[in-house]
Amino acid sequence: MKNLRKRLILLISLMLILSVSLLAADREIRVTGSIQQAVDAARPGDMLIIPAGVYDESGITIETNRITLRGENGAIIDGGESGHIIIVKSDSVRIEGLTLRNTGQSHIRDWSAVRVESASHASIKDNVFENNMFSIYLSRTKDSLVQGNRISGGGDRESNSGNGIHLFDTERITVKDNFIQQHRDGIYLEFAKGVSITDNVAIDNRRYGLHYMFSKDSEYSRNEFRRNNAGVAVMYSQDVDMSGNIFADNLGPASYGILLKDIDNSLISGNQFLNNTTGIYSEGSNNVRIEKNKFERNGWAVKLWANSTRNVFSANAFIDNTFDVSTNSRQHYNTFERNYWSKYDGYDLEGDGIGDVPHRPVRLYSIIVERNPISLMLHRSLFIDVLDLAERVMPALTPETLVDEYPLMKSPLQ
Amino acid sequence: MKTRVNLILALAFAILFLAACEPAPKDIMIGHDECAYCRMTISDKPYGSQIVSTTGKTWFFDSVECLAAYELTDGLEQDRIHSRWVPDFENPDVWVNAQHAHYLYSEELRSPMGLNLSAYDSRADAEVNRNSYGGEVKAWRGVMELVNEAWLDGLRTIPETN
Repeated sequence: MKNLRKRLILLISLMLILSVSLLAADREIRVTGSIQQAVDAARPGDMLIIPAGVYDESGITIETNRITLRGENGAIIDGGESGHIIIVKSDSVRIEGLTLRNTGQSHIRDWSAVRVESASHASIKDNVFENNMFSIYLSRTKDSLVQGNRISGGGDRESNSGNGIHLFDTERITVKDNFIQQHRDGIYLEFAKGVSITDNVAIDNRRYGLHYMFSKDSEYSRNEFRRNNAGVAVMYSQDVDMSGNIFADNLGPASYGILLKDIDNSLISGNQFLNNTTGIYSEGSNNVRIEKNKFERNGWAVKLWANSTRNVFSANAFIDNTFDVSTNSRQHYNTFERNYWSKYDGYDLEGDGIGDVPHRPVRLYSIIVERNPISLMLHRSLFIDVLDLAERVMPALTPETLVDEYPLMKSPLQ
Repeated sequence: MKTRVNLILALAFAILFLAACEPAPKDIMIGHDECAYCRMTISDKPYGSQIVSTTGKTWFFDSVECLAAYELTDGLEQDRIHSRWVPDFENPDVWVNAQHAHYLYSEELRSPMGLNLSAYDSRADAEVNRNSYGGEVKAWRGVMELVNEAWLDGLRTIPETN
């Protein structure tokens, strides 16, 4: 008898466990009516499949954990220019395969196609964004992924348009393989920590391809930044690792490959700076290692302001730039060693690959141009060549200590 | 008759001449001009500000906080400054004298450099936005104190300006 009771209890508990696990099983639900209704009816773990078609919805709010929105080919949500399209307020939400368009513009609110607020483990993957003020906006969010999205900003509304991927007060976010164009900033970080930005392409954005503000412990590598109105800006941040990126064709008086402003303890390694007005502009930045980069065909490869100190330039190649290094003072506390300079006209009698005569990369002419920009007119004149030569023999105006004692005879890079 | 016409013409020219002499704010080229303090390209019209010198030279800033910080750090002599101008947040085409403007300091209205100051010609407008978005209404001196505290560790002396 007792045995039977025991078995009964076992059976009942087994059935209970089974039913609970059935209830909790992840369901796949095809959305038939409005997306908001489907989201409201969903349970944690559900995947909502959105069939092809145009859905005129905005302000879709997700407040349940572990929900996936997956668009089938041709699934479009059109916000109708009336504000945020999807707002995520819960954890582990995935948004995949959708086209999101037309948030409209606001001068007070940051309208976003996907807005994640105070959540974690969000994943925004393989979507298409068109004509939005902000496309992806993560605010106070942790441990999330933004990958494989194709993002194109609004038409030509210069002053109002927002950023492609905007991270505000975030930790441990991965931004990978995205393509971003025609936003204000392609990727924007403010108060970010532990963010990794790799293999993205940002082209033709109205301000910066990438814009770092007040951030820490972050890396961006193997990205391509091309033809952005002002290049890339890394400002007021520490411990930034910038490696293997391409900075190209950023042209204009206020346009830079990288604008470094108040950056400490960082690394710029293995990048290519090609055909920019200014490759690196450094102001108030300290203890940055700049190594193994290629600077080719820039107006100014490096503008290093005197308030930047303890920066080390080594094993870089400076090839065919109008000016290799320019500065605003005779005082300076940075190191240049073992770089390759295509302008170097010394010799290597010992044959050890290192030039026997030190190289002074700051031309007198660049100092003159810094003080009086209109004198750029004299570029390529005999008068300037004579001045430069005289200054090299007997430095009077150029910084005496800014010298590469061991210039390489051959480029250390491929 | 002829002398009167001449007189009027002369007066008109004199007025034009005087008007041209008075240093005045210039238009900022949004998306092109650079902030003189933080070097960022100015891209948000409702925040773009400027200092005009007594000789008519202008320094542009991407935000009210950068204007204040520039004045606090750059050693710009007070007697070189003719005037400071901020855009009315509700109507960014209108320049307001920075010292007479009202400022809202609100987390909800994020400014380009993160100190979240917006400027208003009328105190009523600032208060309307404070009621909708929260925050605190400040005068120019309060803005200078805030920037000094937040960015410069309170180390600077705030110039006495009227």
